[in-house]
Amino acid sequence: MEADDLALVTRAKAGEADAFRTLVVRHQRKVYAVALGIVRDPDLAWDVAQEAFVRVHGHLHEFKGDAAFSTWVYRIATHLAIDAIRRERASHKDDVDEVLEADLAEGAEGILATALGNDPRENALRRELAGKIQEALDGLPEKHRTILVLREVEGLSYEELADRLGIHKGTVMSRLFHARKKMQAALREYAGLAPADDVEAAEGEE
Amino acid sequence: MRDCARYAPMIGARAGELRDEEGRALAAHLAGCARCRALAADLAATDGLVAEGLLARAAARDFAPFVDQVMARIGAPAPAGTLGWFHDHWKATLATLAPALAALALFLYFHLDAARQVASLELSAEGVSTVIQTSDGPVVLLADDDLGS
Repeated sequence: MEADDLALVTRAKAGEADAFRTLVVRHQRKVYAVALGIVRDPDLAWDVAQEAFVRVHGHLHEFKGDAAFSTWVYRIATHLAIDAIRRERASHKDDVDEVLEADLAEGAEGILATALGNDPRENALRRELAGKIQEALDGLPEKHRTILVLREVEGLSYEELADRLGIHKGTVMSRLFHARKKMQAALREYAGLAPADDVEAAEGEE
Repeated sequence: MRDCARYAPMIGARAGELRDEEGRALAAHLAGCARCRALAADLAATDGLVAEGLLARAAARDFAPFVDQVMARIGAPAPAGTLGWFHDHWKATLATLAPALAALALFLYFHLDAARQVASLELSAEGVSTVIQTSDGPVVLLADDDLGS
């Protein structure tokens, strides 16, 4: 698949508009999904995704092929998305990444796993929760949305996340922990599984 | 349980993401910690949900105009989709339309010219009829003879 991308990039560099069109069509939905997860607003995400392709096109001659074309587009889309909501980001910069014992004193662990059963992919609840993901992301601060989206949609490794976000690997792991904790609390709430103090605790952290 | 704060962030690591000694220490911790095992189970059960949810949103949206808008923004023509035919045949289309476009240009030229003379009426007698040039174009006033009365 990526070999195809590389061939298309070569043709696009030579001025073949059709080749670039094919690259856009191939990656547009996932780039949009990444942008949507970060900026939340569908129209803004649409614009960010388009701008990512426009920027990529403007710098095609710099593309050497040492990374995947898709990685390059996602990287630009991520930066544009974060930039688009910069003000929101600044307001949450005090959120600490450190994981403390107190962060674990919740008592709700395992509830989702039990509810989703042994074969979660066949589970109706899982589909219902997938439909609530955007709503759940809405309740997370920008840095937690971003790291979750990059990890899960783009599939970045710890090392790649550290590089993309300009943070240490240890911070990647602890930030992901906090992001997942909030996401899981939201999912428990949607699933009607939230312990009495669970939702309150999750809300209190923002 | 006292090391949970250290090990919980390691839960969910993919193969090769933890150093060997980290992986071994995590496994040992999980073996003795029910709470972290439950955390790991939750994570495994919900793994992939964020991607599924967002990609479903993307799939539900009509992406037909997306690529044309991108190509328009980079200044490239739109060779496919609804405008594809026009792109492939624009020269022929233009050639076919040329006479009509020329006529339209002439019409607009005179029409706009007439519009500048809103108040002035040019009267001319052409045979038995009278033509008044108004801002809305020529108006022919038929003489009594033409009406056959």
